[in-house]
Amino acid sequence: MGGNAWRVLRPLLSRLGQAGLVALLVGCIGFALMHALPGDQAFRLAAERYGPDIVDARAAAAMRAELGLDRPLALQLLEWLGRVVRLDLGRSLVTGEPVIQELRVQLGYTALLAGMALPLSALIGLPLGIAAGLWRGRWPDHAVLSLAVLLRAVPAYALGLALMVLLSVRLRWLPPGGFEGWAELVLPSLTLALGLAAVSSRVARESVAAVAASPVLAFARWKGLSERDAVRRHGLRNAAIPVLAVLGLQLIGLVEGILIVETLFGWPGIGHALVHAIFARDVPLVQGTALIMGLGVVLLNAAVDLACLLIDPRRGRQAA
Amino acid sequence: MRRRRLPALAAACLAPALRPVAAQAATGTGAGAVDERVLRIVAPIEIGGLDPARSGFIFTRMGVVETLLAADAEGRPVPALAERWSVDAAGLEWRFTLRPGLRFHDGSAVTPGAAVASLRRALADATALARAPVATLDVAGRDVVIRLARPFSILPAVLANYGSGILAPASYDAAGHVQAVIGTGPYRVLSITAPMRLEVERFDLWWGPRPEISRAIYLVAGQGEARAAMAESGQADLVFGLHPATMARLRRNPALEVRAVAIPRSRILKLNLASPFFDSLAERQALDLAIDRQGIATALLRNPSLAATQLLPPMTGDWHLADLPPAERDLPRARALLASAGWTPGPDGILRDRQGRRFRVVLTTYSTWPELPAIATALQAQFREIGVDVDVSIGNTSDIPRLHRDVTLELGLMSRNYALVPDPLGTILTDFAPQGSDWGAMHWTDPQLAAALARLEGATAPEERRALTQRASAILHEQRPVIPIAWSELAVAIGRRVGHVAIDPFETSYRLQDMRWREP
Amino acid sequence: MSGLAFGRRVAALPCARLAGAGLLLLLLGFGLVGPWLIEADPARQDLMASLAPPGARFLLGADHLGRSMLARLAHAVRLSFLLSGLTVAAAGLLGTALGLLAAWEGGWLDRGLSLLSDTVLALPGLLLVLLVIAFAPGQILPLAGGIALALWVEFFRVTRAQARSLLARPHVEAARLLGFGRAYILGHLILPELAPILFTLAGFGIGGVILTVATLSFISIGLKPPTAELGGMTSEMLPYLAEAPFQALLPSLFVALAVLACHLLAGGRPR
Repeated sequence: MGGNAWRVLRPLLSRLGQAGLVALLVGCIGFALMHALPGDQAFRLAAERYGPDIVDARAAAAMRAELGLDRPLALQLLEWLGRVVRLDLGRSLVTGEPVIQELRVQLGYTALLAGMALPLSALIGLPLGIAAGLWRGRWPDHAVLSLAVLLRAVPAYALGLALMVLLSVRLRWLPPGGFEGWAELVLPSLTLALGLAAVSSRVARESVAAVAASPVLAFARWKGLSERDAVRRHGLRNAAIPVLAVLGLQLIGLVEGILIVETLFGWPGIGHALVHAIFARDVPLVQGTALIMGLGVVLLNAAVDLACLLIDPRRGRQAA
Repeated sequence: MRRRRLPALAAACLAPALRPVAAQAATGTGAGAVDERVLRIVAPIEIGGLDPARSGFIFTRMGVVETLLAADAEGRPVPALAERWSVDAAGLEWRFTLRPGLRFHDGSAVTPGAAVASLRRALADATALARAPVATLDVAGRDVVIRLARPFSILPAVLANYGSGILAPASYDAAGHVQAVIGTGPYRVLSITAPMRLEVERFDLWWGPRPEISRAIYLVAGQGEARAAMAESGQADLVFGLHPATMARLRRNPALEVRAVAIPRSRILKLNLASPFFDSLAERQALDLAIDRQGIATALLRNPSLAATQLLPPMTGDWHLADLPPAERDLPRARALLASAGWTPGPDGILRDRQGRRFRVVLTTYSTWPELPAIATALQAQFREIGVDVDVSIGNTSDIPRLHRDVTLELGLMSRNYALVPDPLGTILTDFAPQGSDWGAMHWTDPQLAAALARLEGATAPEERRALTQRASAILHEQRPVIPIAWSELAVAIGRRVGHVAIDPFETSYRLQDMRWREP
Repeated sequence: MSGLAFGRRVAALPCARLAGAGLLLLLLGFGLVGPWLIEADPARQDLMASLAPPGARFLLGADHLGRSMLARLAHAVRLSFLLSGLTVAAAGLLGTALGLLAAWEGGWLDRGLSLLSDTVLALPGLLLVLLVIAFAPGQILPLAGGIALALWVEFFRVTRAQARSLLARPHVEAARLLGFGRAYILGHLILPELAPILFTLAGFGIGGVILTVATLSFISIGLKPPTAELGGMTSEMLPYLAEAPFQALLPSLFVALAVLACHLLAGGRPR
């Protein structure tokens, strides 16, 4: 029993260590870079807070005094690290709101987007991939693969633009911007999902093809199960493992996709916030968003590790 | 709603589930029949915070925060929270009498003391009011009394600036930060999701006539194409910040009305007059003659009449010089002027002076206004034709004031709003002050202009003001401390649902309270 | 990401490699010879010819400032390939060298480098690039450096894993025991074995960098005007999407073609 628990705990602990390193790295890089950046921070902040018409040296001086930007850098960094440990990410230099509060709102929107995009990509990618795997080497396989290759070559922003032009400007089915209802969610999540489906269809195809050719399935067929039942009972479960493993990698792609899609569609999530915060030199918000994104990836990877272990307990034994 | 197709309709039913919790806490206005219609305004400018000194313009535009005085369509002061005002003979003591029975959005009474407290905060921050020569701020009965150190004729206009907005004492937390925007206007805040969304509802205790529109949302969409498409899809009732190219397309849409209003804003080139490249008038004139304003206005702004022959556009009244000849592009004359200033073409076609220095300058601009990078790229090519090598650097809005302070700015392309205070004098006074200014002249002083402006500050007689204003404009035109490129218009797409829309050229208010639904 | 697994699949497409090579050759020819053949200056404007449709004067039309799309595209394609080649070369050299070092030395160096690579991998690449290029906006070298900083990890991980198993093979161990120099072993026994897989990685890397640069330019964090860059051209032409869809979409098409060529060529290698 103890061994079993350890098998589950071990990869999780190593992920935890990774999380700590990510936090440290993000914090330090963010900090070092933001302070070395060209463009006086106080001026940038003033531009965001006061608006483009009124930012001037007086506004910048007011910002500098209010935020204590004159203190030694090492002191500011130590302070930040100390607060991170207590889960206090400070206040946004621009809006003055606590970073954690802003992140909560943004994370909610991003979670909505990702939560919609992932099932959507599975809905698009998995059936195509499974079909390709079952008819491997024949036309459905080639068609799905060609589609995936093409989708991967198109930049995400161009895909989003094309969808925007087609679905909202020409056909008027969907609103092109805003973030108030489910309809507004469709375009960005579809853009994201199409990019992801290119990857997941391939993984699904690969796994199904491998399993279909394996003795397990041949045995099942010999047992007298129909082709459909054989795939469903034995094929899918075995195929799920590599799919899950690649899901981890895919999720990193998801985070990148979110940056672009949110910026393109003005979706007020964490990617949009990060790009904005970089422009505005809002150090606490940059650190906060980067931290959450980095930790999010680690967490998702850990979840994937765990899911693989649960589906196939043999893996844990091999690893140990 | 009518125009939406099925998926959007389904979404409308599900939409409340998505709203932030704050919006759910909203209470009705207590009116009898509930009007479900919500007016939607889409604009590119984000909500940078709650403080009226900073992102206050959003709150005054949405009718949440009011000022003591407001401005009419010509920029003249009109009563707002103050029902009347007076000034003593010396022009030093101003009295503003508050309307009786005014209420803040939390129900508390608006006292002169609360108004003075808000104005004191404005004085301490980087606002327009802080530039006025205010000596003391006091309460006298129902009056707010402002004593000045010297006569300052445009005080009413400065008080109409959003930075001088009046908030309830309960708006501030113990540390003095604004924690909630509790104003006095026709609309009060329902929810804010900074920086993207602000929802307001009608405030029934407002002093003016009851507005018809009961709820409105201010929504930020950074992408110009997304904004245009939101107008086309009927998702937004008012869309601001339209790109000139999309305006033409939207005009062909029968479901939309596109209105373009001339506003006192100019795209100008700021020059460092201490640099060897722009220290002589001949050099500045040569640059001026090399600019193809007509081409820029036609191709990039889609409106040839925006080509700026002088700093301030016709709608600024006395600030505009009526009988100036149109500015024609004249490359031979430009080259001759540069030759007279000692610049001769080198082997690569770039000018060199007698010390062999190349005429290479950095033009700094920013992309907050999307047309600026395009204009900068056009200027780069046009200046190249007279042998001036321009390196374009696109950065943040704050780069121009920062480089001004560093004294490293060479050329800056910017969009300057002369209506921050509804009288252009408010902005001109700071921009062309003798010591120079972040958004105005750099290393340039003109004693005659300084004298004219100083007299304008105190002058009250219309005839005298007119003469002084024209004099100041003429000096700015002759000396070219900044080179005007193009004037601006405020373009708005108005949806079919809404009527009685009045566009304020000074952008102080959207005048939501005057709008009506087309169908009852 | 996961270019290798993807590459194995692309190989299944008939004539993928040939098609990729052909496409790449065309694009490279356009990018390398084009700027030299086409006389038009990519920065030369004619505001009166703003958005001119394709015709005799402008073969592929003109952009909003009346510049020749043909000339701009040729320069942009060249820039894309140069920039991505440079970036991948830097990342590949760094990643391979560190991978070999980690595999050879083992011990704390190996652990340290692996930890670093794991950490970098956990960060979205774009995030890292965004942070780094904020240093010097609008300049080419920081842009390449920033992307390389995220890209070396892939080379490092693959090289390290492969080199470790190669170093454990009997003939390599024998060579080490016989006292052959480190340079000889790496140069003659390890690298030739690694070459095919590094080639595939580089191919996908170049495709990826072209995408990244275009994306960054699209969100206006790219290069400064009048540089012609494929993503930047799209964002410049965005307001004119309805009026001149051809000119507005053309740069994106070139991005897609370039990436496609790289993927087909790299993934289509017979094993």
